[in-house]
Parts: sequence; C-alpha cells; structure tokens
Amino acid sequence: MAKTLVIQPVTRVEGHAKVTIQLNDAGNVDTARVNVIELRGFEKFCIGRPVEDLPRITPRICGVCPWSHHLASAKACDAVFGVEPPPAGKKLRELCNSIAYMEEHILHFYFLAGADFLLGPDADYSIRNVIGVLQAAPDIARKVVKVRHMCAHMLEVLAGKAIHPQAAIPGGFSKPLAPADRDQLRKQADEALELAKFSIAFAKENVFPKYLDVVKSLGVITTGFIGTVKEDGALNLYDGKLRLMAPNGTYQDFPYDRYTEFLSEHIEPWSYLKFPYAKQWGEGFSMDVDNPKGVYRANTLARINVCELIDTPLAQAELVEFRAKFGRPAQLTLLYHWARLIELLYNAENTIRLLDDPEITSTETRVKVTPRAARGVGCTEAPRGTLIHDYTTDANGLITNVNLIVGTTHNNAPINMSVTQAAKSLIHDGKYDQGVLNKVEMSIRAYDPCLSCATHRLDGKLSVKLDIFDAEGKLLGSLAN
Amino acid sequence: MSETDQSDPLDQSDLPDFCRKPTLVLGCGNILFGDDGFGCAVVDYIEAHYRVPEAVCLLDVGTGVRKLLFTLCLSSARPERLLILDAIDAGRSPGEIFEINPAEIPPVKLDDFSMHQLPTSNLLRELQEICGVEVRVLACQTGPLPEEISQGLSKAVSGAVPQAAEWLVGEYFPSTTAPRGDLCQTTC
Repeated sequence: MAKTLVIQPVTRVEGHAKVTIQLNDAGNVDTARVNVIELRGFEKFCIGRPVEDLPRITPRICGVCPWSHHLASAKACDAVFGVEPPPAGKKLRELCNSIAYMEEHILHFYFLAGADFLLGPDADYSIRNVIGVLQAAPDIARKVVKVRHMCAHMLEVLAGKAIHPQAAIPGGFSKPLAPADRDQLRKQADEALELAKFSIAFAKENVFPKYLDVVKSLGVITTGFIGTVKEDGALNLYDGKLRLMAPNGTYQDFPYDRYTEFLSEHIEPWSYLKFPYAKQWGEGFSMDVDNPKGVYRANTLARINVCELIDTPLAQAELVEFRAKFGRPAQLTLLYHWARLIELLYNAENTIRLLDDPEITSTETRVKVTPRAARGVGCTEAPRGTLIHDYTTDANGLITNVNLIVGTTHNNAPINMSVTQAAKSLIHDGKYDQGVLNKVEMSIRAYDPCLSCATHRLDGKLSVKLDIFDAEGKLLGSLAN
Repeated sequence: MSETDQSDPLDQSDLPDFCRKPTLVLGCGNILFGDDGFGCAVVDYIEAHYRVPEAVCLLDVGTGVRKLLFTLCLSSARPERLLILDAIDAGRSPGEIFEINPAEIPPVKLDDFSMHQLPTSNLLRELQEICGVEVRVLACQTGPLPEEISQGLSKAVSGAVPQAAEWLVGEYFPSTTAPRGDLCQTTC
C-alpha cells in the first residue's frame, strides 16, 4: 500500500520545514518534497515607507541572519539615492559582514551540522544535539565558544548593536572606528584566524575522511551555481558582480540590477516558496534529479565554485587543494561543509586585512543622500546564499515596489532534488528507520537553509514527527523523536 | 592552536553584556507579526518608563533569541537569573499574562536546537538544569496572529504591556519601581 512519510519540522536547520516522502505500492520513493513556511506580505508592508527605514526593518525579518539583510538593504538604498559610500564606510560594512560570517559558519559547522559529523548520523537522537557535541569534543567546544563570543563582541564594538544592527545607513556607515578599538579588534581577529586554521585542518584529518562515503553519495545532484565575484573573478562576499555558472563550468557575469534578465521564478502549487531558475540558459525548469533544467545552487559551495581565486593566501591554498580533489564545479552536496570552512578561513583573513588597512579608521564614513524617484538593487552574499534587495521609490523617497530574493530561495529546487535523491537511495521496500530519516535531513542541512524568518514558538510542539499515510490519506501510524 | 591556548581563561571583557550581568531580561518575538511582538514591546515600555539598574541587562532580541541562548549555554560566564518575555498561544484569553515553568514544557523538545524552532525551550531547560541559571518565562496569550506581515499589537495584548512591565520591575528591580514619569514629576 502506498505510504506518505512526513518529517516535520526538520530539526537543526534555521527554521521550519516539512518533508513529505511519498512511497509507491512497492514501498520505494515516488516523490519527495520539502515544504517551507514562507514570510509573506513583506512587499505590501513596505509600500509607502521611507526607503531609509528598510535597513532598520529588514534585520527584524530574521534573527538568524540580520547582518545580511541589513547590508543588502543599505546597498539597495545607496543605489536608490544614487550615492557611493566613502571607502571607510564600505570597508566597515565589509568588516562587519566578515565577522558575522565567522560567527555563523562556526555555529553551523560545529553545532548544527557538527552533531551529524562528530557524533555520527546514526547516533541516538537524544544525544545528537549541542550537549552531545560538547561532551564528545569538550576541548574543541571551548575553542569554538571563545571565538564566537569574540565575534559577537567585535560586532558590538563596531556597530553598537549586533542583534538588530543599525550602523549601516544609506550612504555609508554611521559610526567610525576609533584607532584604540581597531587595536583591540585586531588581537581578537588573530584568535579567530587560529580557530579557522584549526577547523579546516581538523575537519580534513578527522571528519571528512571518516564520512567520505556519505559525502560521495548523499544528496548528490548536478546543477549550476551562482555567487558574487570581484572584477578579477576573486571571491567576494560583500560586493562585486554576479556570476551564473552552468553545470559544465561555463559562466556569465552580470551586474546585480540585471538579475531579472538572467533569473526567473517557477511556481509549484504545493509550495509557497518560489523556485528561481536560470532563465538565461533557455531550457526552462525541471527538478528531475536525473535531468534537471535551469537549476542552480547558491551558498558556500556555489561561491567556491564560481570564483577564479580567493585573494587571501591561506584560503587560496585551500581552494587549490579542494579543486585538485573535487574539480570545478564540485557537485557533491555535502561538500558545502568543506566549502564553508574555506570561507571561514577567508573571512578570518579578510577581517585582519581590513583591520590592517589604515583607511578603516577614517572618520569619513558616510555621504549625504537626497530622496528621488529611482530603482536600486542591493546584493550581498548571505551565509546561506545570494541575497537580493530590489527597491523602487517615488520622488519623495517612499517605497513603491519591493522584491527580495533570499539565499535559501535560490536553493529551493536543489534542496528538493537532494532530498529526493537521498530518499531514493536510502528507502527501499518500505523500510526505513531514524538513521535513514536523519540522513535525509542531513542532505538539507548541508545547504544551511534559513527556512522561515516569520515565526517562533514556545508551545511545546514536537520537533520531528513522522506520519505514515496510506494512499487514501488515512493515518496508519506516527513516530516522534 | 596549541594546548596552552585551550586552557587560557576567557577574558571576561571579551564577553557580551548579556553573559556578564547578573540579571538578563530578553524580550522575544517578531514585531512584524502582530501580537508576536509582545516581548519586544515590554522591553520598549520599560526602557521608556523605568530606570534599568546596572546589574540588569534588558534586551529586545526579536527573533534572534536562540542564537543568544545558544551562546549562554556554551559560555563560561552566565547571568544568575534569566527572564524570557514572550507571546504564546495557549488557549487562554488574549492579553492574559502568566508564568511558564521551563521544566513543564513537554520533554520531547530536549533533543534539537534549531535557531528558529522551539529549541528555545531546550536551551532554557539546559540553562536551568545543567548550567544552574534561574530561568523564568513570562508569557502573554496572543490574539489571532496575522498570516501576512502586520506590525502592531492588538488592543488586548497592548493593554497587557504595562501590567507585564510592572510585574517585571517588581520582581527584578524593585528599588526602582517608580516609573520614570513619576520620578520626573517629583524632581522637575
């Protein structure tokens, strides 16, 4: 009898998701779909507001990645007002971005995905959590805790508020960095670099080899990629141009504000979240795992694939080694974790580079702006993928149109494909267990998705629930963690 | 990183205020989703009407509470007392405020820690039971939450904000119970 397996919500990803796996009469996977609760109504909410309010409002969308929204919004405002922030303003924004990245990537690798790797995907669910990680690797946990603390503190020094940042403003950055503060941050940046170096060395020696079979088989799909690069093709996470790479490695570059010429959005009746695809390739859209069309991926692996080089020495050496092992573009989904550690190293080096730049303490951090009727597109690389803010204003600087494409949305189609691939390879003849289901979840966690910025709950709902339905929709049984 | 580094004590000045102060009060919620913004509104109200003592860290953490609780769980320094202000749908009358004991939140949530999902309760429990922090949760029953982004509290929940603030101040910094307005009237 055909069954539907429902995993809801996926645990340890940044939000809520429901995974529905439809089995056929033989007990094998027919389809797998990831349903996401999407933030709705934001565009309508913004209409009529002064555009300069948006860098303050958008960090409220999501408590997980507020800095990315804050900076993309400030950049969109720059474009709307037609101004270019002074060099120090740009560099302070980029510095905050790099520090926020370190905090995020450390959290994800060690404690969100880390539970899978440090404890094993088949570990008992009751220990596969933060306390389990701490108990399994207490020395590592201490190092990680220390640097995460420092990153939070560095952001407070730079921006005053780290939770709902307001320091980036249209035209620049509101708070110059005092030389004494720079000196303090510089010492902390050295410690962050040490952890980044340790992390990738530790993972290459102790984590990735152990799970290489899983890396080579779980959630594997073939797609294109999108990411931001500088004019010379170097990786950049704050500014540059977009690069859209086809599965065969060929690519095209374009400025942010032309994204609608290259990307389009597909709609599925079973999902609130849209499915962006590469319109420019002219092949339409399909999530067929064996023959996808128009599907590209964002986030760490995408950025590592699209860049020609990384302009910091240690991360560049890691990129060279990575490409020698996995080629370009690398397609294995779990390599997102490896790429995340290369980016961690890059951000640590970039933080030091920016702090060593004499211009970083300049007091000229902003320029004046004047309202006008215009369209402006701001784009940054959020930890979870390319983040686009697109605003249009009237002559008074009031919003008339808003469009946001967030990082996880770019990965909507690939996440669904990876879950389908994982489920098909792991569930046969109707047989499954908790370890198998967690591996399906692992294929989602690799993308570090931020699935909902809208809600939070304190009402004791179940974390993961597996419902089994027959073909008529009758509930046959339930499993819960 | 050397073994020596591992034993280095964390410089307390590296820690954020929310780890260092004896009392931590966190207003949680999404101000873009109607009554969900109750906790943030209480923090705003207290900042506008009361003097917050030095020993208290009062923060509007919006939807970012999990990240902060996560840091607290892993930190070597933590507050002695933690109060969470949050909105909840518990089937009561909208605007009703009540305490929730973290220990009474169903134990099925002990085993995950997503940054958005209820793991807030896991982390609260871990802080209370493993880390020895006194954890209390003051909740307010919401009215129907909007399906789309909509800012502002309902009348019932808005009316509960001063009540919650008064309770909080009485419990956590009673020496400054007089609202700022009253202080101003007596000194101006």
